[in-house]
Amino acid sequence: MSTGGAVPSDPATGSATWQPDSTAILSVRDLKVDFVTDDGVVQAVRGVSWDVYEGEVLAIAGESGSGKSVSVLAAMGLLPPDARVSGSISHRGRELLGMPEKQLERLRGSAMSMVFQDPMTSLNPVMSVGDQIAEGARVHRKLRRKPARERAVELLDLVGIADAARRVDAYPHEFSGGMRQRAMIAMAIANDPDVLIADEPTTALDVTIQAQILDVLERARQAVDSALILITHDLGVVARTAHRLFVMYAGRTAETGMVDDVFEHPAHPYTAGLLAAIPRLDTPRGRRLIPIEGSPPSMLSPPPGCAFQPRCGRASDLCPKNPPPPLMLVSVPSHYSACHHPLTPLQTPIAEDSDV
Amino acid sequence: MLAYATRKLLISIPVLFFATLVAFLLVATVDPIAEQRVFLLSQPGGAEQVARLEASLGLDKPLVERYGTWLGDLARGDMGSSTENGRAVTTLLGEAIPVTLRLVVAATVISVVFGVAVGVVSAVRKYSVFDNVSTFFAFLFFAMPVFWLGAVLKDLGIRFNDWWGRRIFFTIGEQSPRLDADFWGTWADRAGHIILPALTLILIQLAATSRFQRSAMLDVLESDYVRTARAKGVPRHRVVTRHALRNALLPVVSYTGLTFGTLIGGTVVTEVVFNWQGMGRLFLDSLLDGDVAVSQGWLLAVGVSVIAVNLLTDLVYGLLDPRVRHG
Repeated sequence: MSTGGAVPSDPATGSATWQPDSTAILSVRDLKVDFVTDDGVVQAVRGVSWDVYEGEVLAIAGESGSGKSVSVLAAMGLLPPDARVSGSISHRGRELLGMPEKQLERLRGSAMSMVFQDPMTSLNPVMSVGDQIAEGARVHRKLRRKPARERAVELLDLVGIADAARRVDAYPHEFSGGMRQRAMIAMAIANDPDVLIADEPTTALDVTIQAQILDVLERARQAVDSALILITHDLGVVARTAHRLFVMYAGRTAETGMVDDVFEHPAHPYTAGLLAAIPRLDTPRGRRLIPIEGSPPSMLSPPPGCAFQPRCGRASDLCPKNPPPPLMLVSVPSHYSACHHPLTPLQTPIAEDSDV
Repeated sequence: MLAYATRKLLISIPVLFFATLVAFLLVATVDPIAEQRVFLLSQPGGAEQVARLEASLGLDKPLVERYGTWLGDLARGDMGSSTENGRAVTTLLGEAIPVTLRLVVAATVISVVFGVAVGVVSAVRKYSVFDNVSTFFAFLFFAMPVFWLGAVLKDLGIRFNDWWGRRIFFTIGEQSPRLDADFWGTWADRAGHIILPALTLILIQLAATSRFQRSAMLDVLESDYVRTARAKGVPRHRVVTRHALRNALLPVVSYTGLTFGTLIGGTVVTEVVFNWQGMGRLFLDSLLDGDVAVSQGWLLAVGVSVIAVNLLTDLVYGLLDPRVRHG
């Protein structure tokens, strides 16, 4: 879809990010995900579009419940069966939504793979770590037991498990949290994926080893030369890891752009709020961090218009009436935001059928 | 695994010792000659007769000494003999145990195998027709008392035989008396006898096991590691068999071990309903006769079997779960 040059852009949700010389591996267009519950319909994702290009690190940031995990689980086809998904998700031009399970199985764990948040519960407790890593190679490459095991040792070594040849037979409970997450990363890169998804990979870990795991993730990504989608609520992690940032709020896009551009000139008040809330070494001592007032809305009945408006200091009468306008170009062509009153001057609205 | 097995085996020893104490005290604290005592004491010179009777039964000695003597005899393989027919308790148990074992083993193996299968399919196809039908029958049989289900099956068996015109299901005893048949004939005869009583135990046991397996499987299917396996692209059938089932078997293994005692209880009732000459009949008779040595021997034998089954359960658990093995 993206290789043809003309990426369809949807004025209601914004368009693909501008990136001239690379190929999109995963393209999400106007993705909507609803969950029908006893209390009503939870609108987890309300129309987002993004692309991941070869070899880049895309961070998807937002608070809990902003729909960031749900978006990527939809791409992996791992949402519970009661989820209602619409829009389009394509991998190298092949539509994934509605793809038969058998075909999706062939892509999962080979072309796309995923590292989950909690390594304590994400590994099978009754299967050895080596068997779990080797399983991917056995399923996708039809490797026999012995070469698959050798591959597992090799991968464990790559993610920095000391004495991998011996530890390959260990069970998850014999590994620490950090080691388990390393094993998860080894598992995810077992078949040289072209896109690796990490869903808050350091959130459940001790602060002291978070940086190590991010390093391992980057090393693993480079080893297989894949793109990385890093889901996080930690803008500090974004700053040190990602090339590009996609900020979600209440199931919609708030802002997206190259990390440096967004950090220097945030356009959306929500992004600015997130940035003001992170501690920095270069701020004067004694200055307080500024939290964002209020809490994220219930996705059973999100506020009308701009979902951030009830918490926003810049909101006007316009905001509760109309949803934010289509993403607009800010000062840099790859920087977009959806806001009536952006902090950084906006340029042109995106034309309805613009070629990107 | 060897260290784990050894540890479990060693723990069983004090438990076994405690079982002998309970088996002894449960019976020894009841007066076996209560009725005679009342009668004799109302007669002239009855007190002397009571004293002689007590001496002959060893009741004049303190409880601790009696326990010591009983335990000493037990260590030499002597469990005393029946006051009713004078036969050695070991002989009586030796005759009854194989009969009951046949029933218990058949019922356990079949109910576990089918219970696991039904539970897994119910969980994987949650709210399907199969799930709903098996849920209905599980609750139906789980709610039925053993003696009632046994009687119903017995009645149905007889009606079936009448309709078929030939005896397929035997409803009395564990084998035909004075049977003169070759090897296969003997087996066919025993099979015809075991079907209905075994079915009684199986249906009730299967009901509980399948419900247990279903809920364990549903829990596991929603676990993070099953999602990890799916994210790896592992095909669905392999996710169920390789990742989910082994984890979901753990609670069922524990449950099967724990309910073994209940199964023995159900067996006693079933044996009485179907007139089997097994452990159930032996226990009931010994209680009705006030047969001290037989009751004690029976309790000890059942206690030992419960300990053995729990040991076996622990070993299976250890094989399935490395966390337990290494812990």
